[in-house]
Order: sequence, then C-alpha cells, then structure tokens
Amino acid sequence: MSATKTKSDHQMQPVVEIRGGSKIYDGVHAISEVDFTLLPGEIHALTGENGAGKSTLSKVIAGAINLTHGEHLLDGITVNHKSPRQALDAGVCMVYQETSLVPTMTVAQNIELGNEKLINRNRKINIKAQQLLQSLNFHIDPVTPVALLGTAKRQMVEIARAVYNKARIIIFDEPTASLTPEEIVHFFNLLRNLKNSGVSIIYISHALEESLQISDRITVLRDGRKVLCALTQDMDRDKLVEAMVGSRKLTTPGRTGQAKSNRPPRGAKVLSVENVTMGNMVKNMSFSVYANEVVGISGLIGSGRTEIAKIISGAEKRNIINGGTIKFHGKPIRYRVPRQATKDGIAYITEDRKADGFFETMNVDENIYLAKLATRPGWRIFFSKAERRKLADYWIQRLNIMALNRKSTIIEYSGGNQQKVVIAKSLVQEPSVVIFDEPTRGVDVGAIPQIHEQIRQLAAEGKAVVVISSYLPEVLAVSDRILVAKLGRIVADFPSEEATEDKIMYAAIH
Amino acid sequence: MARLTQISSNALQEKWKFKTTQELVMLALTGVLLVSFSIFLPGFFGVNNFLVLLNSIAILGILSLGMGMIIMSRGIDLSEVAVMAGSWAIVLIFVDQGTSLPLAVFASLVFALAVGAFSGAVIAFIEAPALFVTLAVSFVVYGIVFWMSPSLVHYVPQDATALRFFGSGKLMGVPMPIIIFMSCALVMHLFLSRSVPGRFLYAQGDNPWAARLTGIPLRPLIVFEYMIVALLAWIAGLVWVGTSGSVQMTVVQSPYIFDVILVVILGGVSLVGGRGHTLSIVAGCLFIGTMLNALTIMNVSSDVQNIIRGSVLLLAIVIDNFIHPRDEETARQGD
Repeated sequence: MSATKTKSDHQMQPVVEIRGGSKIYDGVHAISEVDFTLLPGEIHALTGENGAGKSTLSKVIAGAINLTHGEHLLDGITVNHKSPRQALDAGVCMVYQETSLVPTMTVAQNIELGNEKLINRNRKINIKAQQLLQSLNFHIDPVTPVALLGTAKRQMVEIARAVYNKARIIIFDEPTASLTPEEIVHFFNLLRNLKNSGVSIIYISHALEESLQISDRITVLRDGRKVLCALTQDMDRDKLVEAMVGSRKLTTPGRTGQAKSNRPPRGAKVLSVENVTMGNMVKNMSFSVYANEVVGISGLIGSGRTEIAKIISGAEKRNIINGGTIKFHGKPIRYRVPRQATKDGIAYITEDRKADGFFETMNVDENIYLAKLATRPGWRIFFSKAERRKLADYWIQRLNIMALNRKSTIIEYSGGNQQKVVIAKSLVQEPSVVIFDEPTRGVDVGAIPQIHEQIRQLAAEGKAVVVISSYLPEVLAVSDRILVAKLGRIVADFPSEEATEDKIMYAAIH
Repeated sequence: MARLTQISSNALQEKWKFKTTQELVMLALTGVLLVSFSIFLPGFFGVNNFLVLLNSIAILGILSLGMGMIIMSRGIDLSEVAVMAGSWAIVLIFVDQGTSLPLAVFASLVFALAVGAFSGAVIAFIEAPALFVTLAVSFVVYGIVFWMSPSLVHYVPQDATALRFFGSGKLMGVPMPIIIFMSCALVMHLFLSRSVPGRFLYAQGDNPWAARLTGIPLRPLIVFEYMIVALLAWIAGLVWVGTSGSVQMTVVQSPYIFDVILVVILGGVSLVGGRGHTLSIVAGCLFIGTMLNALTIMNVSSDVQNIIRGSVLLLAIVIDNFIHPRDEETARQGD
C-alpha cells in the first residue's frame, strides 16, 4: 500500500486526501486510521462488505459528516466542511444510493434545484436542462416529472445535476444496483467521458466485476480499516474477495453448483401459472414450477418478474377479467391478501428487506418467532419465550446467522445477516413453494454462497423454489431451469446445462 | 452507524438500552417534580392530595391507554372522547325515557364497540386514513346523541347509586377511578408485552408492509384495535359519569382529545409507530397529573395552565428529537 502511495505522490497532487481519518459514532469506530487519495481524472473504486465503512468514508469526502480525528485535504489544503452545500461549492458531489430527487418536480426543476434565483422562468430552465442533457447524450425530456421516470433515468438526472453543478469530484454510491446490463454499458461510457474531461470519480460498489472493469485504482476497506489500495490492473476477483473477507473462510469457495449431476430429479408439478395478466406489467405469463426444482427467473427490471411473484403470493392482484389462472397443486387460487398464501404454504421473500422484509425495532428472535405466530399451527394467545429462543437458536444455527448479541435489533446487523433472518422468517412457516426475489442484493460476499447453498437445500428437501435475480451468475449457479421474462411474458426456458449468460441476455433484450 | 455495533456491540448495548427508555426519563422528571413540590409547595405532600392527584388523571389515563396503543400501531383515534361522552349520554337518555339501567348500560357498550368496529372496518378494508375516518366518526356520534336528545348536559338520576360507585366509591380505601385505571393499565401491559395480538400490533406499527407479507391478519387486527380503543373510551366514560354525575357533551368539542395525545407523546410513544410501552403512557399521565395538580394548588389560571401545557408538549417533542435524532445519517443506518 505504501508503495502505491509514494508512487502516486510524486506523479501529481491528489485532489482529495484523507490522512489517518477516523470517525467515531457512539464510541464505535465507523472508520479508523484510513488513508485515502484521489488523483485528478481517475476512477477510484471503493469496495468492502456492508459495514466496512465505505459509506462513512464517502460521506466524509462529500462533506456530509466530519472526521473525528485525522486530516481531510482538498487540493492540498485542509478543509473542514460544515455542510454538503460547502462541499458542493468546492466541486464535490455525491450521487446517492437512494436517489435524492424530488419526485413531483420536473427533470429541469430538479437539475436547477438549489441554484434557483428569486424568480425563475420554467422556459429558461427547461432550455438549459435540455442543452445539458443533450450534451451528455441523455434522452430525457426535461419537462417530465421525475416520478414518472425509471430508476436508470433518475440516475441520469442525478448525474446531469452533478455535471451542472460543475462537479470536479463525483462519488457514486452503488450506481449500477438498479441498472440493466445495457444501461450499465452506457453508464460506464459516461464515466469514461467524465474522467477524460478531468473529473475524479469515487466508485462504490458491491459488484466486484464492475469495479475491476471500470476503475484505475481500488481501495478495499474492512471493519473500518483500509486493508488494500492497489492499481486495478494488478488485481483480480479472488484477491479482492480475500482482502474484503480477510481471514474468515467462505463456506463454499467461489460459485456453488459444481455438483449439478447429484441433484435429484424433479417431482410433481406444484404451481402452474397460466396466461396471468395484470395491467401493463404482466401480460399472458405462463410457466410451471415442480417440486425438487429451482427455477431461476431472469429478465430486466420492469419485465414483470417481481410482479408475477407478488401476484402468486397475494401481495398484488391480477386482473379480475381475463387475469388467467394460477393453480397450486392443481387447485385454482386467487389470493386477496398474502396471509392466504402463507397459510397455503407459498412464501415470497422480498427484494427490499428494509421496506417490507423485517421489523426493525425487534431483534432476531422476535422477527423469526413473529412469522411462526402468524401461522395457524403457531398461533397461541400468550407467547412463550422459551419457544422463541428455541426456534431462533435452530434457525440461527441452520442459516449460520452471526447473531453476536441476541438483544441487538435487526437493523444493527449486516445486510447478509438481515437477509438470512428474512429467509428464516419465511422458512419458519414451512412453505412448499419458496419464491426468492433478489436473494443476495446488498448481501456481503461471504454470505452469498451460504444463501445459495440454502436455496439448493430447499430443493433437495422437496420444495419448489423460484429464484428471481438480475445477477446472471447467481441464476446460473442455483437454477435447474432458467426462465427469461421480457415485457410481462416468459420468452425463453433453458435447462441449466444449456444456459449461458449470453443466451439469457439475448432472450431478455431481443 | 448502527450496523457497526457488531464490532463492539457490548459497549453500545449499554448506551442503546439507556437511549430507548424515554419513559424512565419521564418517571425521573415526575419524581423530581414530586419531591420539589413536596418540599416547596405547602398542601402538596400528603396521602389525600396524592389520591386526589391520581383520581384526577384516571379518566385521562384510561383514554391515553387506548390512544397510546393505537398510535403504536400507526393509527390514531380522534373519536375517543366522542365515544366516551356519546355512549354514556345514550345511557342517561335511555334511563330518562324509562329503560332499566343495566339494559341501557349494555346498549351503550354495544354502541361503543359497534362504533369502534365500524371505524376499524373502514380503516382496515377501505384503507382510508385513520385520522379522517375517526374525525368524521366523532361528528357522527355527536350528531346521533343530539338527534336523540338535543341537550348539552345529561344528569345521572338520583337513584342510580351503582353508577356513582364507579366514580366516587372506594374499595379498601382506594378510590374506584384509581383501581379501574390501574387494572386497565395492567391488562394493557399484559396484552402488549405478553400476548400474540400484542406482538402483531407492534409488528404492524413497526412495518405494516412487512407484517402483511409475513401473513399477519392485519385487517381483523385493525378492527380489534379500534374496538379496544372504543371499549377503553366506554370505561373512561363510566368513571367520568360516576365522578361528575353528569355527561357534558361540550367535552366533544373541547381540545380534550389533544390532552390525551399530549400524554401519549410525552411518555415516549413515538408517532413513528411500533415504539413505546404501557409504562410510557402511565409515566406521561403521572407527569401531567403532578404538574396540573401543583398548578391548581398554586391557583394558576387556566389560561396560564394552557400556556404551560403547550410548552411542555413542545419541550417533549424537542427532547424526543434529541434522544432519537432523525436526520439523514440515522435514517440511512443499516443499509
């Protein structure tokens, strides 16, 4: 690490430098003694597991928070940002994970936001925004309200805003999480353009492949400390994972699914979806799911893959007229509320665990036990603490949940452990069909193989499993059969031996 | 950053525990007030005055138990005071027209529960906002009572000593309102902290979308919750009628319902939902009761009392924000 630093030091002066930076929250080091440099016109990837301190470090650089100890230099001058506004004036801009646009305002108004004069003419800001968007090659109408835009376009608006504010340093926090592969290609081209025009970029991402592809240098954080800073060309995925995870061992090295031949043959048909239609999102979707089988559903965002899962599990309702039929063990079903689905044994594991996955004020035990209580066999008037403990002990052990302090609320756990609790919450209800929606989104690298292993194990136990995922290697690794959704239909059905990333992508786009 | 607590979770655990108990802060403040008033305010210290104090907060306390519970579940019930006054006005109107007292009381209990079930059903099944549904229901209840008998005050008949007992009677030297309040609090505590519907209620308040996906029967639960609030309003009405010997319908139009909400928030039941305990509500009640009692002894006019009440509410909100800061940084924790 020191070698790289000295090398870069006499090349040119860094635009941002953190020396021995520590940030302490409630006596806990969020980051400690971190050294970080950002050179002009470089893309610097910042990786690490959830809770490693990436967000904290980037917030320090963006001026949202101040360091407890250490020095923060901008162009070689010590700074002490008092607010994001001052950082913005200095040309530092952060594009947040959850977009920070005002949904009811138009694109142009959002770009102008914060720079308004006392009196504004819509026409003028619309023209300005139009010029800006065109110069960036973004095809967005400046008078559209942001609420009507998809995630990818919102991100473009954020980037346009950063450029409009003459940002010299842009921090991207998980920018590709909601982009389709095609959009990612465009996005990377944009990053390269920005870089060539002299903008320095900090790129925070879970997707290691992307970081390796786009960045010039990579810094890895672990438990709030810098463990590695190297030129990207000297790095590969395995080295990165090793640095991120440290001495802890992964249960399964690399990808799972090497024992494909040992998988049991599929059993009886459990669920069949026939011509299901819901508004514009799902149109005539048909497929079947069998016992002992993992069905992967791939497809772009907006292809109807999440919607069909929600329809099956009763969270959303399909059209009443010409809505198609869904049969569960041969019996037609139409649920009004998810409770009916969980009662029948259909579990849906949400893609957004924070929004509708767990109860943040409760600890692991309570979260798991609540799901049990919500079932008919689990129901009782007064709950039993002993039973709760026993149940939680079993699932903590089975899913390998790192519950260091059982009294901590679930919000204090890492993404991977939260996801495992959400999975446990569903499995505790003993479902016969389990639908996973993005099972490893925002999950630390170490926990991903463990979750994949659990998915395989469920199929081995005779359950019918559906895995919806944007991450193709994941779909390929866990599925026996891969379906591709596009514009509300299933357009392809591959056995896993035949499927490749290229074939799936081709089916999803063309 | 909350997720980092795993690194040294024990150190933070201590702090975390201290942080979440706003009701303990309230109890401590109440203690400080009690001690200082006892020392500096003549006529404050004494068993009799303490009984008066508790007596005076019983009605408010019973109403707050219902309000606190419904706020924990992310709901609100503005019709509570209307149900309290309305259902007991109906009893007195019926008795006046010659119905027997037990039958009238039974009818009013059915009426209160029906109103609660109705509000709950509209909120649960039509998914209308609780704030407006219960506000509208309170006008409807008020209107029904006036339509039955256009009188602002209804008096308890002289021979209804049984009713009087619940307000002015004593059991083993303890006034009945205190006994009723304490039993309601105890039952509420058991319900919230031990029973499964209580856990469901917290789950609903914490994250209704997650609760729905988990398969918690939210709709029946919501109806049940609003029926409990109505039942508590009815019990509060029983104490009120017994104490004052009359039902003044003007209370429906007074800001009394906001006193109830004040107590609930003061005790630490967060408007966010899913946070708070029965103890929080009781602590809020004790604090307000102590304060109002002292102000009455000091002969402070009601205008000044209103100013103090409003300031205390503001102070409570400021303290709440100080203890649980809700800025961007904390909101983003754990992702």
